[in-house]
Amino acid sequence: MKLYDYELSGNCYKVRLFLSILGLNFDTKPVDFYPGREHKSKALLSLNPLGQLPIFEDSDAIFCGSDVILSYIAENYDKSGFWYPKKQRLSIDNWMRVADEITATASAARLHDTFFYDLDIDTARAGAHRLFRILDEHLWFSEKRGDDWLVETPFPTIADISCFPYVALSEEGGISRMDFPAIRRWCDRVKRIDGFITMPGIFPTSKAA
Amino acid sequence: MKVDLSQWHPVASSSDLPLRHVYQGQLWGHELAIWRADDGHVNVWENRCLHRGVRLSIGLNEGSELRCLYHGWRYANRTAGCTYIPAHPADAPARTVCNNAYQCIEKYGLVWSVVAPERSFETPVTLTDTVPLTLRAIQINAPSDLVQKFATDYPYGMVTHKSDTSMTLQSGVSELQLFFQPVDSGKTIIRGLLIPQPIDPIVALRHHNAMMTALRDKIELAVSGLAPPRAIEVEFKPVAKDLAQMPNINTAGPKVELRAKVARKWLTAQQVMAFRLEAFSEQFPTFQPGAHIDVSLPNGMLRQYSLTNGPGQTDHYTIGVKRDVASRGGSICLHDDVQEGDVIAISAPHNNFPLRRDAVKTILISGGIGITPLLSMAQALKAQELPFELHIFVQTKADLAFPEILQDLDALTKIYMGLSPRATRNVISGVLANYVAAQHVYICGPGVMLEAAREAAKKCGWPDEAVHFEYFKNSKEIDDKTTFEIALSRSALTLQVPAGKTILQILRENGIEVPSSCEQGACGTCLMTVIGGEPDHQDVYLSTKEKASNQKIITCVSRSKSNQLVLDI
Repeated sequence: MKLYDYELSGNCYKVRLFLSILGLNFDTKPVDFYPGREHKSKALLSLNPLGQLPIFEDSDAIFCGSDVILSYIAENYDKSGFWYPKKQRLSIDNWMRVADEITATASAARLHDTFFYDLDIDTARAGAHRLFRILDEHLWFSEKRGDDWLVETPFPTIADISCFPYVALSEEGGISRMDFPAIRRWCDRVKRIDGFITMPGIFPTSKAA
Repeated sequence: MKVDLSQWHPVASSSDLPLRHVYQGQLWGHELAIWRADDGHVNVWENRCLHRGVRLSIGLNEGSELRCLYHGWRYANRTAGCTYIPAHPADAPARTVCNNAYQCIEKYGLVWSVVAPERSFETPVTLTDTVPLTLRAIQINAPSDLVQKFATDYPYGMVTHKSDTSMTLQSGVSELQLFFQPVDSGKTIIRGLLIPQPIDPIVALRHHNAMMTALRDKIELAVSGLAPPRAIEVEFKPVAKDLAQMPNINTAGPKVELRAKVARKWLTAQQVMAFRLEAFSEQFPTFQPGAHIDVSLPNGMLRQYSLTNGPGQTDHYTIGVKRDVASRGGSICLHDDVQEGDVIAISAPHNNFPLRRDAVKTILISGGIGITPLLSMAQALKAQELPFELHIFVQTKADLAFPEILQDLDALTKIYMGLSPRATRNVISGVLANYVAAQHVYICGPGVMLEAAREAAKKCGWPDEAVHFEYFKNSKEIDDKTTFEIALSRSALTLQVPAGKTILQILRENGIEVPSSCEQGACGTCLMTVIGGEPDHQDVYLSTKEKASNQKIITCVSRSKSNQLVLDI
């Protein structure tokens, strides 16, 4: 297994995080995303014509995009079957679409603030706020039901892995999570999954009581 | 909008504060870090580490202490006092290093707080002893007065009561309480309580969430064209002048400034009486593991006892007192004369036996009643999941004090009973056999045992600075026959110390105040720096290395070998 990886990318982190939680060994090939724009180099474009990270290589097959890679890893390497259960696939896929929306807004704001991307920051932040309100409400009622995770299962799924990073990195795009207490608690729960790893900007939390 | 910092407001729901979480809140622009300790106590603190100003809401709630994520400063549950600074692992932080905490109370499923209180919390008139249903809080990007205006149209029932901060709506026998938390000038949180609990809470929660969200959208639409009001400028209280400066060297001698009630007195082991002391005000001051207090006794004596408390326990102090028939009468007085319900005077905690928390492994060795400071240390190490061993030497099972605390530590504890001095020495040598760099050992017990342990540590290659010890008392015969001169370099005074008097006494007689505690060379409180001359060390506080350096002196017992001693005071 090989991950074409950029340390500061939340999407690459999704893959690193999931592989770590499953306890799988993998190689990384660091890509100079910023400022080198190596993901737009000929060599990388030949792997992923869209010029995006992460790219994942396993037994000579190439997978692009974090959601595809997460589902691929879950289907092939998750012995527990909890991470991408057949019964809840629709719901999980749905939350992965939400994760894409979070990437388009919260991650865009972060790209603007930390990587100097030229984009409409107000629109990006407003969009993230709107999504976070939906997410917070969903998680608040999940808690009331006694559920810890995005999808109604006793265990976290790749939906949680997929939505977590750019939520947890939102402050780097100037989006505070103060108004979203249920999201903040869910972040603590994700951080307490066995095998959790950090990345720059995503801190650990304390151990559960 | 009128800013009234003296009003109490709900700032979080009880359910916002699961264990080991830090909630990020705000009231009138003041950011709050709100967290529940494992004992259930809720803390509302300024969201700012004293050290570098990093938000404590990204800190780690470790159950009894909150750790800043930046440089690891630790703050205690309840008092908000700093208990540990990783950059100074061998030192106890000053008691004055304390975070800014807000008054708070948890009631009716909400946590209430206030920025600048003028009175204590009063139950809103419409709330009685019911257990209401706490609705999902709704955050609205609009000023509080405007939100209140719109809220009168909330589709529930008649508005029967209104105040600056709340509103009551009545519908049949049911009531809806709405509280308006002014987060900042342009942001408000509505917190609702439904009385009584509806039959199907989830349905009610969903319903009100939908109505409240609709209200939010309506209000936010109404203000959408307007420029947001300027954020409230928060005035940070500057650090008090006396804290920002180097403190004066001379503070008074023993000071027993706290009053404590003997809430419980019980025999925790043969000849060992435990005392649970409770504060009259809400809290006792912050303490660190290894700390002791001076206790003023009805017979006029002053005695030092180690705190056995675990981290963050400042609602009470617990001490253990061994009855010592041969003693000067302190322990007897506590055993026989002090009763439950009595009020005694105690000092704030001192710590001359600080616990490092950066050791790869900590070994605690206790003999007899020497267990007390080590209990406090063991509980702190356990809470932080740091590796440690606790070795307890007692004569019989009946001599084992505070078994209920030991029970919680069990797997990490080894108890040795009825060993001869020789066998004790052998066991200790075994325990200390394999010294690894950055291990630390803490020993407290009778003098003979301490000497044996220190010797064993030395033989096994433990450096002096990794061996920490606390004597109960100085059992050495003090030789006070010498006569010498002390030159006080800062005070520009030269004084004579005659036979039969101590340096400490002479200093006091000449109007120089020096803090002291045990006055028998065991506790280290009256430590002073030596600039010139050769001290005649008679204490059991300084290590061999410290004594050999001739740079420190314990002024209550030690004297001078040279004709003159120059002291830095």
